[in-house]
Amino acid sequence: MLIRPIARDFKIIAFYLGRVFLVVAAAGMLPAGWALLGREWAPFSSFLLMIGFFAVLGTAMMRLGVGEQRLDWGHGMVVVAVTWLVVPAIGAIPFLLSGHFGGPLDAYFDAMSGLSTTGLALVQDLDHLAPSLNFWRHLLHFLGGQGIIIAVLVLFAGGGALTMYYGEGRDDQILPSVRSTARFIWSVAAAHLVFGVVALGLVAYLVLGFGFGRSLFHGLMIFFAGFDTGGFSPQSTSLGYYHSAVFELVTAVLMVAGALSFGVHFALWRGPRRSLLKNLETRTVLLTFGFTMTLVVLGLALTVAYTELTGLSRQGFFQALSAQTGTGFTTIPSSELARWGGLAFGGMAIAMALGGMASSTAGGVKALRNGLTLRSMGQEVRAILLPHGAMVDRSYFQFRERPLSPDLARSVMTVSLLYVALYIAGAGVGIAYGMPLQQALFESVSAGANVGLSVGLTEPSMPALLKLTYVVQMWLGRLEFVAVFALVGFVVSIVRGK
Amino acid sequence: MRSEFPVPSSRFSGVRRWCLAVTAVVGFWALTAAPAVAQVIVPVEDLLADPSAFNGQTITVEGELIGDYGFRSDGTMWTQLNDDSYVQAPVVDGGELTGSNVGIGVRMPAALAQSLDPPGGYRVRGPVVQATGVWKYHDPDRQGESYLDASAVETVEQGTRLEESGNMVAIGIGVLLLAISGLLWLRYVAARDRT
Repeated sequence: MLIRPIARDFKIIAFYLGRVFLVVAAAGMLPAGWALLGREWAPFSSFLLMIGFFAVLGTAMMRLGVGEQRLDWGHGMVVVAVTWLVVPAIGAIPFLLSGHFGGPLDAYFDAMSGLSTTGLALVQDLDHLAPSLNFWRHLLHFLGGQGIIIAVLVLFAGGGALTMYYGEGRDDQILPSVRSTARFIWSVAAAHLVFGVVALGLVAYLVLGFGFGRSLFHGLMIFFAGFDTGGFSPQSTSLGYYHSAVFELVTAVLMVAGALSFGVHFALWRGPRRSLLKNLETRTVLLTFGFTMTLVVLGLALTVAYTELTGLSRQGFFQALSAQTGTGFTTIPSSELARWGGLAFGGMAIAMALGGMASSTAGGVKALRNGLTLRSMGQEVRAILLPHGAMVDRSYFQFRERPLSPDLARSVMTVSLLYVALYIAGAGVGIAYGMPLQQALFESVSAGANVGLSVGLTEPSMPALLKLTYVVQMWLGRLEFVAVFALVGFVVSIVRGK
Repeated sequence: MRSEFPVPSSRFSGVRRWCLAVTAVVGFWALTAAPAVAQVIVPVEDLLADPSAFNGQTITVEGELIGDYGFRSDGTMWTQLNDDSYVQAPVVDGGELTGSNVGIGVRMPAALAQSLDPPGGYRVRGPVVQATGVWKYHDPDRQGESYLDASAVETVEQGTRLEESGNMVAIGIGVLLLAISGLLWLRYVAARDRT
């Protein structure tokens, strides 16, 4: 029987949502400050409006829920799901007022794409966009990739932290308390921020010959989009703008760092490092990347797209890595990617669908689920082949030996199947609008796996329903379904509960 | 010894002179017209639609230089050339929305870039140029990059600075909302202290 939520439930949810909105309002002051310093008055006024909305909503909701602070599992999930719907809606205000978007849906699309670290974009005339607006686009990647909720947890302790932590698609609690884990995650991000911006800025300044200020600007933008595996870029030609293997290499390091789970970051920092290669997740990600990379390079070699091995390996490696880590950067135009076809195209789609590590900023099904699914299937086959009553090893190694129970196997396969269904559903909508199967599937996987690579179908003129479909896919893919299902259950219980 | 070839008659000599004259005229036309053939402007959209078809050819593209001028240690300068509707009317200047930017990378000798206006960007319409050079598609010398290796750049229109003023309505509403949120915060703190 469904239990209808009472006023207290709404108050609890409102209180935590209010906290989140205040944190985002504070984050909005960064691009506002940027605009103020750069005398970008039009963007500044739109940022002020956005901050005002977040602040009023935040304080009003906290006032509404004052005194109600005990958050249970369902409340936390609803908070997370609503956060990821409302923040892009208000965060899209500066986009909409900039005049660079065809309408509210396009602005919302880009805000959701930024926050979910997808990278698909409907912005028009990007090359003339204000730097502060570009900063906001990329900051959304950072907020979404590190986790808005995580930011809230760093600032405010309190009951119910764990449920919100898991609701945002995190699987492992690295340190004993959720708050210390959240702090660790932001510390890792801060350390990479310093390294990434300095390294990219130096390459831009010394190798590419950009001016000092512009080098820092490009370094910061590409860091946000690379480390958070987002894929936005400050110029319309993505990473192809830089025409530099060194710049791509530094970006690739950041992309890999972003696609590693924070558990791996912790192990690299404090050990045990030796067990990393023994981890099921590490082995799976290496195996799947080796497989998809081979497909892409082999496919490109067969099409004779590149006549030299150096070109083949550099271009093939970067696009495959971008797909597998869920970043979505590219060094080639989308029209060229659409022409790849065959093995290379398939390799890219599979890489996007599989994704990087769990509890990272990467999207897709994710390596741990892929590994557990394969292992579980292998164990089932072994159980059938062995004599009746024989013992089958039902465990896996992930920093330590863990049991692979039927419940775990079932939940892993369920989420994996949900991702497959998500990819197919999005492709179905694309096909209904007359898009070729192959391209519709590619674009759908890109949206659902929060990658952002495009073969040119994602453009401002595409049908509104398709834009909405990709928005929902980005939202579901980023939250890994559970929080969204909890929200749906909550809404149903309001209507049908007793 | 006499040549086995027939001795040309005066009639044949006249034809030969005529042919030589025609050849000279055609040759002169071909030589002077050669740069004009390269001056046929290839739209960047067409170039990107079939980039391999132009590989190794000397072509001319026209558009706005945008983003950055990257002066590298090898004496070259890299930038981006956009050929879209925003070249004439960027959004910030009231231009109509027509989709994404359409551009290619351009490399040129640094000396050619010295006299160029600053590249386009926010509130700047960069110089519109005609760049002539060899289109290098998947250049093996640059590990598969594609770009125009320009050897001549001619400015068609100078760059211009654009204006964009603030939105006073948005500022007014934003300040009002912040004031309301301040009051709500005070009420929240009072209520929290009571409980």
